[in-house]
Amino acid sequence: MDLYFITFAVMAVGAGIFTISAREALASALGLLTVFVACAALYLHLHAPLIAIFQISIYAGAILVLVVFVIMLLMSPDDRLEVIQENMSYRIMGVFLVAAMIGLVVKALKDVKEHGAVSLPDGFGSPGQIGEFFFRDYLLHFEVASVLLLVALIAAIYLGKKKL
Amino acid sequence: MEDWIIDLIKVVFIWVWCLLIAVVMTWVERRASAMMQDRLGPNRAGPFGLLQPLADGIKLFTKEEIIPEKAKKILYILGPALFAIPAFSAYAVVPFGDKIVIGGKEIILQVSDVNIGFLYVLAVGSMGVYGMVVGGWASNNKYSILGGLRSTAQLISYEVPMGLALLAVVLLYGTFSMREMVLAQQGTFLGFLPNWGIFKQPLGFLMFIVAAYAEAARVPFDLPEAESELVNGYHTEYGSMRLGLYLFGEYVNLGTLSGIMVSIYFGGWQLPYIDMSAFLGPVSYGIASFLVFFLKQAFFLFLFVWVRWTVPRFRYDQLMGLGWKSLIPLCLVNFFITALLVQLTV
Repeated sequence: MDLYFITFAVMAVGAGIFTISAREALASALGLLTVFVACAALYLHLHAPLIAIFQISIYAGAILVLVVFVIMLLMSPDDRLEVIQENMSYRIMGVFLVAAMIGLVVKALKDVKEHGAVSLPDGFGSPGQIGEFFFRDYLLHFEVASVLLLVALIAAIYLGKKKL
Repeated sequence: MEDWIIDLIKVVFIWVWCLLIAVVMTWVERRASAMMQDRLGPNRAGPFGLLQPLADGIKLFTKEEIIPEKAKKILYILGPALFAIPAFSAYAVVPFGDKIVIGGKEIILQVSDVNIGFLYVLAVGSMGVYGMVVGGWASNNKYSILGGLRSTAQLISYEVPMGLALLAVVLLYGTFSMREMVLAQQGTFLGFLPNWGIFKQPLGFLMFIVAAYAEAARVPFDLPEAESELVNGYHTEYGSMRLGLYLFGEYVNLGTLSGIMVSIYFGGWQLPYIDMSAFLGPVSYGIASFLVFFLKQAFFLFLFVWVRWTVPRFRYDQLMGLGWKSLIPLCLVNFFITALLVQLTV
């Protein structure tokens, strides 16, 4: 275990706990921001700088900004989150999510144990290689995702236009 | 010298240089605005009032730090830092000169030449919005919250055209490294023009500069501040050096954006038609390339001031309309034309 990993792993987990326990909406969002940054740092450590940058620019720079936008639009700084946090149905959903996540982590750890450490191929994590993966090995997945986005786009136009 | 010492020197140098640019820019802004409005501006402290920023700095540092009673204390203190840190770190990948040879060691004049430098600028640039949001929210004041709200929507809208304009540049040069992009702009284009990005991406540059003004929240897109309607928006409640950090961070942002424009569209440290490395020694070439870069950057910094005191502010719906209905479609057109041209010429 190296110090770099432990620092950012602890940071990510700590900030994650803060995110779900904070009583103020914006503080909670900033907790999530810290989680994203810590994860990006871990991706850098795993020799995947492009993924790290995407983590920052898409999750922290775009998605979370939208979340913050909604928070600022609908809440005031004096609003508290206790009501939502004590809602039983959210807690039950949370239990299922955690169980699924733990299952995934256990599966991944088992795979690591079976295969052992593998050395990285040349050019691992470079933009070119990720592009090749996208348009050669995972073309179908890529296209399915783009169709999904198209559907969302059409829905947005439908909702946005008063008269079609 | 050890490599890490060189890196440290570069980081400290850029840090100090950014601060210096920001400090001088406060003076330039006031003097230039005075010039354009037929006034004198600050001219008492030192020659031409050049020591005015120093006086302002002393004033800001020695003022009492007031935290409003209803403010969210921790977030209120955090806000300016969240704004300033991304502003200062974005400069790390901008090449501010070619290279300099000292003691037989070749030093690249760029803090870090990472191969995804370009995306780094976009990613870090998009983090600056949190400073405004946290400042506005923590002040717990209607105007400030409105300012923060406007900044989120504005910055997220203009990131899209900015990214699309830059993507076309990536297509053109086939690299994400800013240094390689500058190096690709050597020589001439069509025989008589300097081989700069602007001549290959005129539309892209126009889109980029408009998006950059919006990203920096400068007039005509300074809706988050809008002193006449929102009383300075997200930093209404701030005083002393906390306000200073917001103002400084803004000028540092301008410096970075100008640096990016120069590197991508205006040949970086290179002079048109003249190859400086042919007749200058290794040390003087390094310094000359830095100066050339700085002169170009200074022009764009002045352009920011020039535009601010010339153009009126947009209305908010006009701002959103311009971003989504004009810039993004035009950027897409530019992107596809570039892709077609690249395909045809390769």
